Amino acid sequence: MSRLEARHWVFLGLFLVVLVSMVLQVDLGVTVSDDSRRMHDYLESLPPGSTLLMSFDLEASSLPEMRPLALAIIRHAVSRGHRIVGVALLAEGTGIGYRLLEQVGREYGKVYGEDYVFLGFKPQYIAAMLSMGESIKQTFPEDYLGRPYDSLPVLRRITNYAQIDGVISLADGSLTTHWIEYAGNQYGVRVSAAVAAAMVTTYDPYLASGQLHAMIGGLRGAAEYEQLIHRGGSGLRGMLAQTTSHVYVIVMILIGNVAFFLGMRKRRAG
Amino acid sequence: MGDSGSGVNVVAVLMRRRIPQIVCGLFGLVTFLCYFSDHPVARDIYLTVTLDYWQIIFAFSLIVGAISYVRVNLRGVERGVDRPYRIVSLAGVFLMPVLAAVWGIKGGSPFMWVFENVQVPMQATVFSLLAFFVASASYRGFRARSLQAAILLGAALLMLVSRSAIGDLLWSQIPEAAEWVRNTPAMSARRAILIGIGLGSLTTSVRVLVGIERTWLGGDK
Repeated sequence: MSRLEARHWVFLGLFLVVLVSMVLQVDLGVTVSDDSRRMHDYLESLPPGSTLLMSFDLEASSLPEMRPLALAIIRHAVSRGHRIVGVALLAEGTGIGYRLLEQVGREYGKVYGEDYVFLGFKPQYIAAMLSMGESIKQTFPEDYLGRPYDSLPVLRRITNYAQIDGVISLADGSLTTHWIEYAGNQYGVRVSAAVAAAMVTTYDPYLASGQLHAMIGGLRGAAEYEQLIHRGGSGLRGMLAQTTSHVYVIVMILIGNVAFFLGMRKRRAG
Repeated sequence: MGDSGSGVNVVAVLMRRRIPQIVCGLFGLVTFLCYFSDHPVARDIYLTVTLDYWQIIFAFSLIVGAISYVRVNLRGVERGVDRPYRIVSLAGVFLMPVLAAVWGIKGGSPFMWVFENVQVPMQATVFSLLAFFVASASYRGFRARSLQAAILLGAALLMLVSRSAIGDLLWSQIPEAAEWVRNTPAMSARRAILIGIGLGSLTTSVRVLVGIERTWLGGDK
């Protein structure tokens, strides 16, 4: 069997594993981690009517992982009666953020402009973060739909971060770091994050130092959060696919190692 | 002749090296000092630099990037290298600004329709392919060739198990063991790297500000 063929078999195996897992749609329960509980408790501790700034710092490529995370957080915040001001500091987060807020807004019968708003995209994220610290209205004179800032009731008493109860960065990359450094450190706003699994270790030091208030990560984080808010979603549904594909990768690693050691023994004997 | 030649050289050095160095040093110093001051004038300067000038420079860098992208792809089309892909790519580059200019970029516009129905699925597809390469690479490359490699492999397996639902089923302590790996050895290494990056960035910034570091001007050519 040539190397190319072996690789194709590995690909085909993973495809079948994920396909079967997605078709089966079994909800696997997961143990809730301290990180997820901390984020949950944080949103619970805010009085109803608090205003959260949610920044959709993500790209379309990470949507399968980030969408369940974002939906879980938004659903929890909206169900608690918090108001949401959405922004996007990566261009691709613009359409995604608006869609997600609209979806949850419809689910809970919330009114755009009164309970939540999406301000759209601003290039140069560091400049945008600093600018919002001075004046959100100056940074976003109108919302994503082109309505003037002052015409939106949810924004009426919001000038800058001083009237925002917390920032939640929904990020698949390093933008949360800038939220911590510029909005958090310079303007004193409380920064939390929902991040892709690959980025979790990047933010661990910030979480440990308290610069990042709370963080949930990856599809598992979404599944844990869905359990906490008692509302199933694609996080819990996707856990079977994630579990089986992880097991598949582990089996591949073990097979690769067995083949490696057998080959080494053969070479030594020969 | 010699005089006019040396005059041109002086102007060239001034324009290519000294003036950019002075501008860079001045703006760097002013921004640095203003960051630590709460004085209204300092804040105004700081915000003007970060908000206005930054956006203007960003806009110009985008123009440079777009022109370069179009030139490279047009050359590729002429030479027949990956012609169909380059044509599609160029069509996208020209189509999106037209859609944005005519109908805007707000929700529900044709621009956003193309973004949501072409770019989003394409990017998600490309990123999803990564899972297949990870599976293949883990089979071929993740081997316990040495003690260090074995430790790395053990940590990777622990993380893989803990991030799936079987970790809880196999042994209740697995998620806690993974947490320990994250919070102790991994975080120590991460902090060391972050401190190193911070010190490196600081050193490079100071070198740029005082004009020792000149690679951003094309080196010492």
